[in-house]
Amino acid sequence: MANLTNLYDVSKCTACRGCQVACKDWNQLPATIEPFTGSYQTHEDTNADTFTIIKFFESEDPVTGVDWSFIKRQCMHCFDAACMQVCPKGAYTKTETGATLHDPDKCIGCQYCSYACPFEIPKYRKREDKVTKCTLCADRTAEGLTPACARTCATGALTFGDREVLLQKAEDRVKYLRANGYPNATIYGKLELGGLNKLYVLTDTPDKFGLPVNPHIPKNISAWQNVIQPYFGWLIPVMLAASATSFVTTRILANKHGGHGEHEEGGHE
Amino acid sequence: MQWLPEYKDDVERVERFNFVARITHWGHTVTFLLCLFTGLVLFLDGVDWLAAIFGGYAGAGLVHRIAAVLLTILLAIFVVFDFKGIISWIKDILRFGMNDIKFVMSFPLEFFGFPVKIPPQTRFNGGEKGNSIVTPTMVILLVLSGYIMWFPSIFPAGLVRVAYPTHDIAMILATCMVCMHGYLGSFHTGSGESFWGMWKGTVRADWAKHHHAVWYEETYGDKADAE
Repeated sequence: MANLTNLYDVSKCTACRGCQVACKDWNQLPATIEPFTGSYQTHEDTNADTFTIIKFFESEDPVTGVDWSFIKRQCMHCFDAACMQVCPKGAYTKTETGATLHDPDKCIGCQYCSYACPFEIPKYRKREDKVTKCTLCADRTAEGLTPACARTCATGALTFGDREVLLQKAEDRVKYLRANGYPNATIYGKLELGGLNKLYVLTDTPDKFGLPVNPHIPKNISAWQNVIQPYFGWLIPVMLAASATSFVTTRILANKHGGHGEHEEGGHE
Repeated sequence: MQWLPEYKDDVERVERFNFVARITHWGHTVTFLLCLFTGLVLFLDGVDWLAAIFGGYAGAGLVHRIAAVLLTILLAIFVVFDFKGIISWIKDILRFGMNDIKFVMSFPLEFFGFPVKIPPQTRFNGGEKGNSIVTPTMVILLVLSGYIMWFPSIFPAGLVRVAYPTHDIAMILATCMVCMHGYLGSFHTGSGESFWGMWKGTVRADWAKHHHAVWYEETYGDKADAE
């Protein structure tokens, strides 16, 4: 089945935050109230009860003046997902359409995923001792609906559909933006981390929107999950087997050599 | 079949480990094994039954943390109350020399019970010196990486990420050493007497003379008297 994804076009977004509300509504997430920090941003970051937020970035440039940009953030549904790699209980799965799903029944709240994720998306929900995150509305898309955020988007900044189709659309849009006053316009999510099941059309470089320019799964995580975890642990049963063998052979050989084997013959350990 | 060598109190015995050393040793045995089995719940797949012993994954996590704190306290007790003992332990490890290398070379044969001739050893033989370096280092790494993972918000994210594989590697190496150490220090026919050194504090003088000749001479032998 084709990968179904969201395309988010920064240049069309007005930061109305309808997507945030729709997400809370569909996923039945309670309100999280955080103190005012002098920004339009509702929360510091996504949290256990807020799967998506609009982040605001204000910067001043001597040439272009004040620049105020915003971007929708949520789980990127990476094709090579770090959360899936590290989860000791296999709570993460990929759907046929490319969404990364988290199963709360399997989750034990260890939060390995929270610290492995290059986008810091999985968040710990203390009251349940579980991790939560965006599901790309897998429950809706399985029934042929669009995700709550994309359905509610008033300006058409969010569209949902086949990844290949949306990728073409994004490329055309980037071409248009580059020709019309946004020379740095770019696509995000096409190649990052081997492809994300979330596409962004950005009007500027990713770092201007607080996105990692070259996200990567830390090497030590790959080494740990691909080498240490599956193979290194076998040392322990090898040691136990050696001890068991020795337990038998020392006693057999001690009898053979006539002595008690306690201190006269062998035994220097 | 004989499991442990018999404890004989009618022969001359010499002290091998003092009270603090023994308390911390057995305290660490209990807390380490508790941490190990509650930790394996996450390391291995399909061990729900192991988690169930501790009351599920949350219970195993709680036991793991309590045991870890006790283990840390025991480390502190060891440092505070037997600092001299630690220093002399380190000094003995630093005496690693030719005799220790010869010991390690012939150890595989000795391990399986073949009679081999071994040069005189200091208080800790070549293998024990190795164990004395690896196990405490790994336990310290386990403690450090453990607290980093426990309180991730007060440490940099990079450090937290490194802590996970560190905890695993240190666990594996420490457990390997503990498997060998546990066996050699009890059921191994040659070295089993050392079990009583750690349990009651004393070992047979003739065993000490035979297994740790240098140590015996310096501590209880003619050299000690001369000083």
